Amino acid sequence: MRILVVEDEPDLRRQLKAALTDIGYVVDEAADGEEGQYLGENEAYDAIVLDIGLPVMDGISVLERWRKADLKTPVLILTARDRWSDKVSGLDAGADDYLVKPFRMEELLARVRALIRRAAGLPSAELACGPVVLNTRSGKVTVDGAPIRLTAQEYRLLAYLMHHPDKVVSRSELTEHIYDQDFDRDSNTIEVFVNRIRKKLPVDIIKTVRGLGYRVEAPAGPDAA
Amino acid sequence: MTAEDKSLPSRRARSLANRVILSAGAWLALGLIAGGLMLSYLFRDAVERSFDARLDMLMDNLIGAANEGSEGMVSLYRSMMDPRFDRPYSGWYWQIGAKGEAPFRSRSLWDQELPSDFSKNFPREHYFHLEGPEGQHLRAITRDVRLPGVDHVHRFIIAGDTSEVENDIAAFNTRLVWWLLSLGILLLATMAIQVRFGLRPLKRIGVALAAIRNGASSRLEGDFPQEIMPLVTETNALLDHNAAVVERAQKHVGNLAHALKTPLTVVANEAAAGDGPLAEVVRRQADVMRRHIDHHLVRARAAGRGSVIGSRAEVLPAVRDLMRAMERIYADRHLSFEVVVDGSAALAFKGDRQDLDEILGNVLDNAGKWAARRVVVTIAAADGRVAITIDDDGPGIPAKDRDMVFARGERMDESVPGSGLGLGIVRDLTALCGGSVALDTSPLGGLRVKINLPSAS
Repeated sequence: MRILVVEDEPDLRRQLKAALTDIGYVVDEAADGEEGQYLGENEAYDAIVLDIGLPVMDGISVLERWRKADLKTPVLILTARDRWSDKVSGLDAGADDYLVKPFRMEELLARVRALIRRAAGLPSAELACGPVVLNTRSGKVTVDGAPIRLTAQEYRLLAYLMHHPDKVVSRSELTEHIYDQDFDRDSNTIEVFVNRIRKKLPVDIIKTVRGLGYRVEAPAGPDAA
Repeated sequence: MTAEDKSLPSRRARSLANRVILSAGAWLALGLIAGGLMLSYLFRDAVERSFDARLDMLMDNLIGAANEGSEGMVSLYRSMMDPRFDRPYSGWYWQIGAKGEAPFRSRSLWDQELPSDFSKNFPREHYFHLEGPEGQHLRAITRDVRLPGVDHVHRFIIAGDTSEVENDIAAFNTRLVWWLLSLGILLLATMAIQVRFGLRPLKRIGVALAAIRNGASSRLEGDFPQEIMPLVTETNALLDHNAAVVERAQKHVGNLAHALKTPLTVVANEAAAGDGPLAEVVRRQADVMRRHIDHHLVRARAAGRGSVIGSRAEVLPAVRDLMRAMERIYADRHLSFEVVVDGSAALAFKGDRQDLDEILGNVLDNAGKWAARRVVVTIAAADGRVAITIDDDGPGIPAKDRDMVFARGERMDESVPGSGLGLGIVRDLTALCGGSVALDTSPLGGLRVKINLPSAS
């Protein structure tokens, strides 16, 4: 999962990046509205955290441009303006949720998780595929209740695939969503990660669709009830 | 009477129209009285002149008819041709006398005699008043004439009763008074109409100011005469200035909030990530700071807004906008937000739109957090006020706990996100706006929030 954080205050930006990275997201940063708007339109993100009070171009204008450009990525706006008239104008501009400063980081993480889930049309914080359960809140993966240890990259890859069940996800799409923009992308590493995950999970839920990519699928048989 | 009583003039004197009418009425009365006196005087003068002319003519007649009779006595060789001189005490008399002689008198004098003081010498014509028989008021003319062939002067007197003249004058005066009185009333009435017509723009200003006061309008609108246009312009400038000052103050307050909240977020989150006593103190104090900022900003905003006269906000559009926002916020819960308008759709709150948004936004957000499927907003007019009811089909709040949710920072359930300030702010804001909020059990099964606000309709 790849997140864009558009925040002008360096300390808050650093905290946001740290907290989001901590729970397994890849985070890109932008320090002003113009940069944020460019990144949002040209890179693939699963969610965007956007401050309203930004230099160069304010958050509402950025958001309006994104929505005009038909960008559907869920956007959480951060605002110090806590009046409902401000919230309404933010939501009317196309935000999916808002968070009023000062906020607790856990709350922000919960909102971001919920937005990503909502965009994928998933009702619960726990994503299940057969016996494999991925808890987006805790960042843990279990198979039949037994915890599986995954590295950050492995978790990101599995989480992205499990957020899009029964859909073929291409390698390039995976690359876009599990690496930040500065990473030297090599789609071959995706294959390496997929193989490692397959080895760690007692059931194989990642199917390779030749020439297209991967798809998570509950294993057939009596287990898949 | 206290000093305060003195400074408050009576209602009658405070009315500009009454002042104009009263002062003009006084001048009018004075003018009419003076005119009446003048007319009365001129009439009396004219009537008396004509009476005197009649006496003069009769005197000529009498002198012409008199001649020296036998034994030096005066006689008339033709009668005076006027029966009034023959009827006793008729009021009309003549007398011809000479010193040391019994006067020759008209028959009407009967046994009386007109006084003729021979010691006095009169000019050729002399008019005077005297009292006749039976207390008659007489006016007389006297002339001293030496008849041909007589060696001494005879004094001729003709007297007439003035009561006839006085009656004429009295009748004239009575009619005059009635006419002038009617004229005065007519003039006063036209003036009153004129004054009311002339002062109508002032009344319109009063109405326009009342409209501002009750929130129906924010400026003095309409065409006014040039005499009071400066007042209108100045009042509007004052209103604009007032609004601008409040807006500026609010903008500063908002900027302050923005400026403080970002560092507060950073500090609180930095502390949350750390351990130890320092982190704990920072965390606690950051939370206290946040509450202070929220609390005082809300109050400052509301207090600033409340003093701005002329603000009004339509309820239905505000509810619609907020519902659109709620539907977005609670998109994954598929809640149904409905609004029911009971009566006029143009119902307006006497106050600021942002305050209304704040009150309704917090209540709707609270309802959205707890509702299972439905949130229903009912807008109605009640006794000239706006009644807004928000129902949800959530778990509701037991009656004994309802006071608690209004307490600052109180949260009934820590697992549902929110600052816990929502309903506390709602209560403070409704109170500042002159309204009230109450909780009840909703027919939908959850909580019913009843908000009552002043109406601007």
